[in-house]
Amino acid sequence: MASVSIENVTKKFGELEVIKGISVPIADGEFVILIGPSGCGKSTLLRMIAGLEEISGGTVAIDGKMVNNVPAKERDIAMVFQSYALYPHMTVRDNMAFSLLLRKARKAEIEAAVTKAAETLGLTELLDRLPRQLSGGQRQRVAMGRAIVRDPKVFLFDEPLSNLDAKLRVQMRTEIKALHQRLRATTVYVTHDQIEAMTMADKIVVMKDGHIEQVGTPLELYDNPANLFVAQFIGSPAMNILPARSSSQGVSVVDDLWHSVPELHHLPTNKPVTIGIRPEHFALADEGIPATIEVVEPTGAETILSARIESHPVTVLIRDRADVRPGDEIFLTPDWTRVHAFDPATGNRL
Amino acid sequence: MPKILGKGLKGFAIFAVLGWSLAPIVLILISSFKPDRDIFAAPPRLLFEPTFDHYVALWTRWGDFFAGLVNSLIITTGATILAVVTSAMAGYAYSRYRHTVMSSSAFFLIFIRLIPPIVITLPLFPVVNILRINDTHILMIVLYATFFVSLGTLIMRTFIDQIPKELDEAAHIDGASHWQILRRIILPLSAQGMIAVSVFVIVFAWNEFLFAFIFTTTRAKTAPLVLSEMFGAVEGVEWGVLFAASTLQLLPVLIFVVLAQKHLVAGLTAGATKG
Repeated sequence: MASVSIENVTKKFGELEVIKGISVPIADGEFVILIGPSGCGKSTLLRMIAGLEEISGGTVAIDGKMVNNVPAKERDIAMVFQSYALYPHMTVRDNMAFSLLLRKARKAEIEAAVTKAAETLGLTELLDRLPRQLSGGQRQRVAMGRAIVRDPKVFLFDEPLSNLDAKLRVQMRTEIKALHQRLRATTVYVTHDQIEAMTMADKIVVMKDGHIEQVGTPLELYDNPANLFVAQFIGSPAMNILPARSSSQGVSVVDDLWHSVPELHHLPTNKPVTIGIRPEHFALADEGIPATIEVVEPTGAETILSARIESHPVTVLIRDRADVRPGDEIFLTPDWTRVHAFDPATGNRL
Repeated sequence: MPKILGKGLKGFAIFAVLGWSLAPIVLILISSFKPDRDIFAAPPRLLFEPTFDHYVALWTRWGDFFAGLVNSLIITTGATILAVVTSAMAGYAYSRYRHTVMSSSAFFLIFIRLIPPIVITLPLFPVVNILRINDTHILMIVLYATFFVSLGTLIMRTFIDQIPKELDEAAHIDGASHWQILRRIILPLSAQGMIAVSVFVIVFAWNEFLFAFIFTTTRAKTAPLVLSEMFGAVEGVEWGVLFAASTLQLLPVLIFVVLAQKHLVAGLTAGATKG
């Protein structure tokens, strides 16, 4: 295994700059997830690490060695593609053995490596099948098997679970995480699914428009988002955003609906601010902020309420069963110690 | 009633097309087994005593024809292999690399297909003489292959376009060179395209007359040339022998086309629809 260093990397397609000077250190054995909306450059960055895209500027180093001009086949990396990219004319065994065969490994060595990887991933019974005879989850496992059989320096995953159904995605998520814990392999994983990012990563890199918005552990990002974009991107349901104005006593939120919140007295006075409250940091109470329920979504373990405070839509997540119906008037009390404040002009955390 | 009429018309149309295309083949095939007096009998005799006399006569008197068949076989095989390999490699390059030079040369590929063969043939004659490769197998192989590389490349490109580029990338990451990707991934997955190209080349090279007439005399003379000699023989045309020779010339390519029909259609319609 190895560390990966991405320093001031840029990527241009003609005049269009899609990666704008990104730097991310990835430690040996770390599981790093690149996340962001479509077109943010996360897959391009992954492909640059893989050697499938040329690097326009900056450096990418694997294990301390700059690889900018090293072809993909010499970088000693393995990649799992969104479409799995299994060779359709080869059996599972041949798919997994292909890289070792090209490396001119001995037959016994190939057999041993394939058998071991197949056992790890529960593919032993499927070794003689063709990819078209496998289910989506099995294909996904073969793609991972093809990667681990080589014992590469770095594993790269490009949205590997996007083509699976919801149930299988959860299962494969756990399997990939378990596999990483067992192999401790340096992994860079691209996804647009923040649940995947939160549950699997050691470190998350949130990207937008070709640059990094924030880097941190999942809980750092969740608890202390650096800006409005990260605050709304990380967490499901998304953080509620409300307009407010700061004063010497604190802030008043939604046109003076809540006055003088002392927990927020550190904010610059007499300025507009944006307040962020996570759905689970609201509680139902007998008195507090009045809201009208629009939709009730019980999931069993929790209930999600879509409501409106005056004209502002909010989402409330209740851990207990809530005896409420659409149209009901409720009172909400936020946990002010966990409320976030942002500059409405820049979006940065205050 | 209109439905029955429609069906009837459809049946008649199919029958007419089949009759039009099959009649000459059936005529040649049957006539090759007819005694001389029955070949052009009027009205045509459908019941006759089959004879192999014409085939025996062909074997004894027209040894040239069998030498021509061997030449045709060598040239067709060589041209097919050369054209398929070249088309596959060029098709791979056209499919995977995008560049203005590639686009312009792709247009050139189509353009040269539109030029009548004779326009290329005449200037080629002195060149062939200078190179002293007149009347050789290798000349005919290169000529026939060259003539079909443009179409072959376009067919192969269409087939290779349908292979996801991620397979190339996966193989590249697995450690494969471009040549290994082509050999181990692309070619096995575009086998149908290669069969389609080979059908075109085989049918063309086996039947081609013009190039063979101009560039061969004895050593590389192909079967269609001997057939034409039989037709223009000074002692008169032996129709039975000519039909026997035509049958032997016709059968291999007919059988091949019937067997490869599915791939031929795939080659012609590749890329026409998604999936």
